[in-house]
Amino acid sequence: MNEVYIAGVSMADVGWHELDAHELGARVCVEALRDARLLPRDIEGIASTPHGYMAESRKFASQRMADYLGITADFMMDVDSGGNSSTAAVHAAYERVRAGRIRSCLVFAAQREVPKKVIQQDVFSYFHLIMSANSLYDSYQAAYGVISPLPFYAMAVQRYMHECGVEPEDVARVAVLLREHALRHPQAAYKEPITLEKVLSSPQVSPPIHRLESSEMHDGAAAVVLVSGEMLRESERAARVASVAESHDPTSFHPYRGEISRFPCVERAAEAALAESGYRVGDVDVAEVYGAFAGLELMMYEELGFFARGEAPAAVKEGRTTHGGEVLLNPSGGRLSLGHPAYVTPLLEITEVVRQLRGEAGERQRPGASIGLVHTEQGFINGSVVMVLDRQAP
Amino acid sequence: MDTKPYIQDSAAGEFFSRLAEGKFQTTRCRACGETHYPPRVLCPRCLGEDLEWVDLPREGTLLAFTWQEAAIRCIKPDVLGLVELEGVGNIFTRIDAPYESLRIGQRVSFSPWTSPDGLALHQFRPVD
Ligand SMILES: [Zn+2]
Repeated sequence: MNEVYIAGVSMADVGWHELDAHELGARVCVEALRDARLLPRDIEGIASTPHGYMAESRKFASQRMADYLGITADFMMDVDSGGNSSTAAVHAAYERVRAGRIRSCLVFAAQREVPKKVIQQDVFSYFHLIMSANSLYDSYQAAYGVISPLPFYAMAVQRYMHECGVEPEDVARVAVLLREHALRHPQAAYKEPITLEKVLSSPQVSPPIHRLESSEMHDGAAAVVLVSGEMLRESERAARVASVAESHDPTSFHPYRGEISRFPCVERAAEAALAESGYRVGDVDVAEVYGAFAGLELMMYEELGFFARGEAPAAVKEGRTTHGGEVLLNPSGGRLSLGHPAYVTPLLEITEVVRQLRGEAGERQRPGASIGLVHTEQGFINGSVVMVLDRQAP
Repeated sequence: MDTKPYIQDSAAGEFFSRLAEGKFQTTRCRACGETHYPPRVLCPRCLGEDLEWVDLPREGTLLAFTWQEAAIRCIKPDVLGLVELEGVGNIFTRIDAPYESLRIGQRVSFSPWTSPDGLALHQFRPVD
């Protein structure tokens, strides 16, 4: 088996974009190739995702990009598994490079949504998009008019708070901390600091979730280049992929059996990825975690094994998850404050961890970070992908 | 504007038409005895296809509740909840009570509900 490295990363600013998703994608692909010191003719595989959930989505993103950049590929894949899509694409590419089928692969995602405000101003014209959002859920959920996963997540947070004695301030504090992290990130969607009072007084979107504890869908684009050792041009900037593992529960949004505040797929994926990497969770210096809501962020920290059940709120309060703490969690600002183009998010997470391992994270840098973890999920955390990366040159 | 719900299989169509007749039912496998919720057109446990419709329990325990800010078919702020039906599983439903009056663990019972656009659905309300 070959070692696999991430040689190039690139991301567009998170926010709202005017460019077409294809052009946004092309620009980050080219930047990631420059970062890897490679040209399209050096690339042997390409993978991508759809351009959005509500977007008037075109298909075949990989093929269009292969045409646009002139990539002859022995591996091509477009993945649509919600928030896991681009990590699932990276996982597939990783296995191909590891097995020696290809020596390099470009994975990118570009998301352009019809902005929520535009839809709200002209519901009639965009009604088909609202109905398509509704049809993401099965018949027994969709019948109640659901057009966002918010009610499901709200009930999970309610159960978590109930079961673990978590207070509203504990949840709000995560949102404040992630905003502080994002203020160190020049490409984050959010630029204004927030306070505990501001979070708790923001409207409830689905109780107990407040507006400022909820991630908003944004536009964005990012690309990563995976290579085998022989295609690595600058080994001192290499981030090695130590392992990738994924696990999926037999559920789609709310489970019809079992607990709604536990996410076994996260625990299984994290345990498998850590075991394969040879590291323990306590070895991780920096991690990007897919927490789409502040309460879920706490639950993910626990399911990943950073803290025992019910102990993440105290860890956040004591500064153990921020700069100077025992592990730096979501230095990018996370989904809440970096912004959340869901198809792109996993590549934003990988980009942040690679920058941290290279020592190129600027004001967000954790000094000496050498082991990183990336976690993503799909649906109502029905499935998870976990990657472990380290700084280990060939 | 067509707001018909998404019907994923013929069991879903059957479930909602039975609901319109006041029947709150799901499928059970005649071969292995497994009760499914949601209803199925075949049994995922034994792969049998000989299923019958049986009554669901009309009383359960409120596991969690919230309301949704925006939705089709329901009026803001519609209270939604998850109700545990013993021996069946968790059912996602509307809760016919003000959000503030509810508590986790309370007993709730089935009642029919017709959405503003005319769809026959189920809801649960607290048992006095
Ligand atoms: Zn059966």
